[in-house]
Amino acid sequence: MKRTGVAVLLFAFAAGAAVAQDAPIPAWSRTKAAVEGRGTPVERGAAVFNNWCSACHSRGPQNAPGTSSLQFKYQGSLPAALEDRKDLTAEQVKFYVRNGVAMMAPFRKTEVGDADLEALVAYLTRQR
Amino acid sequence: MPTPPPGVSERDFAAALRQLEEVVGREWLFRTDEDVALYRDGYSPLWGEAEERKASAAVAPSSVEQVQGIVKVANQYKLPLYPISTGRNLTYGGAAPAYSGSVVLDLKRMNRVLDVSERDKTCLVEPGVSYFDLYRHLRTNKIKLWIDTADPGWGGLIGNALDRGGGYTGIDYRDHFDAHCGMEVVLPTGELVRTGMGANPQAKTWQLFKYGLGPWVDGIFSQSNFGIVTKMGFWLMEEPEAALQVAVTVPKRRDVVPLVDALHSLMSSHTIPSQVNVVSPLMAGNDPELTRLRGSGGASDADWDRFAATRGGTPFWAAQFVYYGPRKVITAQWEHTKDALGGIAGVKFAETASYTFPLTDEQVEAVADKARYGIPSLNLFSSRNAPGAQPSEGHMDFSPMIPPHGEELIALTDFTGKVYADQGFTPSFVGGLMFHPRTMICFHAVPTFRNAADNQRTRKLFEALVRGCAERGWPIYRIHPVFQQLGMQMYGFNSGSLHRLHETLKDAIDPNGIVSPGRYDIWPKRLRGSRA
Repeated sequence: MKRTGVAVLLFAFAAGAAVAQDAPIPAWSRTKAAVEGRGTPVERGAAVFNNWCSACHSRGPQNAPGTSSLQFKYQGSLPAALEDRKDLTAEQVKFYVRNGVAMMAPFRKTEVGDADLEALVAYLTRQR
Repeated sequence: MPTPPPGVSERDFAAALRQLEEVVGREWLFRTDEDVALYRDGYSPLWGEAEERKASAAVAPSSVEQVQGIVKVANQYKLPLYPISTGRNLTYGGAAPAYSGSVVLDLKRMNRVLDVSERDKTCLVEPGVSYFDLYRHLRTNKIKLWIDTADPGWGGLIGNALDRGGGYTGIDYRDHFDAHCGMEVVLPTGELVRTGMGANPQAKTWQLFKYGLGPWVDGIFSQSNFGIVTKMGFWLMEEPEAALQVAVTVPKRRDVVPLVDALHSLMSSHTIPSQVNVVSPLMAGNDPELTRLRGSGGASDADWDRFAATRGGTPFWAAQFVYYGPRKVITAQWEHTKDALGGIAGVKFAETASYTFPLTDEQVEAVADKARYGIPSLNLFSSRNAPGAQPSEGHMDFSPMIPPHGEELIALTDFTGKVYADQGFTPSFVGGLMFHPRTMICFHAVPTFRNAADNQRTRKLFEALVRGCAERGWPIYRIHPVFQQLGMQMYGFNSGSLHRLHETLKDAIDPNGIVSPGRYDIWPKRLRGSRA
């Protein structure tokens, strides 16, 4: 099995810290929307990503099967880690969260609510 | 306006949805096509076909009282409900109902860890609690207990236990239904029941003693549709001092017979505490000669051993397992294991990982086989494993149960290899996994697709596997809703008397037939004509 190599602990988000990108996320912090309603949209979106996406899409490839799969798909033509993408659009993020792709199942609104999804869009499109 | 369930008028359905909205609030009733589509099973073998199992709406309560309110409305309109916990039972149906038109009762919002006792090594949780959630709770609060996680960490303790899923750690924990202790159930009539010691409100032992007094009824709420479980207690494993993960390999095909016999004895004596995988490294991959041998269905031991001799020393079989406990004890257990297996010519032993607990966060990240240490992940969800490869879309688990005998593993491998080849598929992974104390499960991931033509082939393969294996004494232990009728038919002793008993219970417990009609082929009287 695999692993990761990414961003920030939930505690940092809760304290309103800026979104860091280079410290590893412990696997056990990857759950639960712990910072709802706090911080900027980008900070909230980083928390949503941490809670719902990072177990597959953190900067891996270890512990990040989604990143690993995208690495095989893009072979360097695009960053495999979603957090490093500069080309993602709001429509793309919403489509994949709500429709899934390949082995990725869609996320229901009891998991990622509409407000969470808007925050996630803010985070994943922040570098555009 | 969504399409009503069969037999419910549009007027009644509209009235029912209005009342459900009053129970949970507007935000938590899902009725648009876009929202209801989120409850489709992305791995459905009927994806996009008219028979695909789809919900008519979904409702997401946040409390037991709201569940009871929903059940009251459902009884009034004979509205079929389909409870899910985290909705991630992928490969066994996901969040989609067994009966099209059902309203999914999405319990994900009921996600509280209600109690953890480090002293008693127990927990009490709601249905929306995932393995990730409970693990995080334990880590955050520095509680030295382990969870036993299913492979996908987003699965729920309650949903997985009720479908009788499993994990990897100690024998008391990895059979997830067996590891539960006490449940709370909203019956289809709306009445609230607590099982075991929970029926005594003053009892201090709800999560400690399973049986209470009188008949022990917990089993009827697993793989069934007799109630909506809203709380469940579980026993948790105390964090050990240390763990040692090992591998044992043997070179020849028939070596699996003494290997499995010895491993079974070592498990029975509690020398080996963990789940044991017996897999074939030699039979992995798509080598043409391998595919030919597997597809023949009857290659001899000599044929296989000649093949093995050309594969650079790759062992025919490998067993993997873990010891948990004090370092001195696990060292002695490993030495005893080597003594017990040392008589197999060519056997090799390897220590593959060693840990001393507790682990730091960085050490947790570095653990390769996370589930064997109660660490949840989604590491199995990789769609592509090679540059430019076509992504996997989904699969169904085919999971026949065999005795813990190497001869049976060989016979099943021969049989299924031929079935795959005859149906035009590459034979699946070969292994027998000893989750339970007296059986092996031989999981196969049967691929599913997003197109009808390929899924038609998959369904034919799946049915051939289910029927053929059952005829040979290897029925499945769990099955996707699309095949639950077929699965139950394989349990047909005395013209299906067990199934008749299930439906007798259904009629008594759920007179209006509102909870999960058709799940595990149990139909309420009013819908028995719906059985295909």
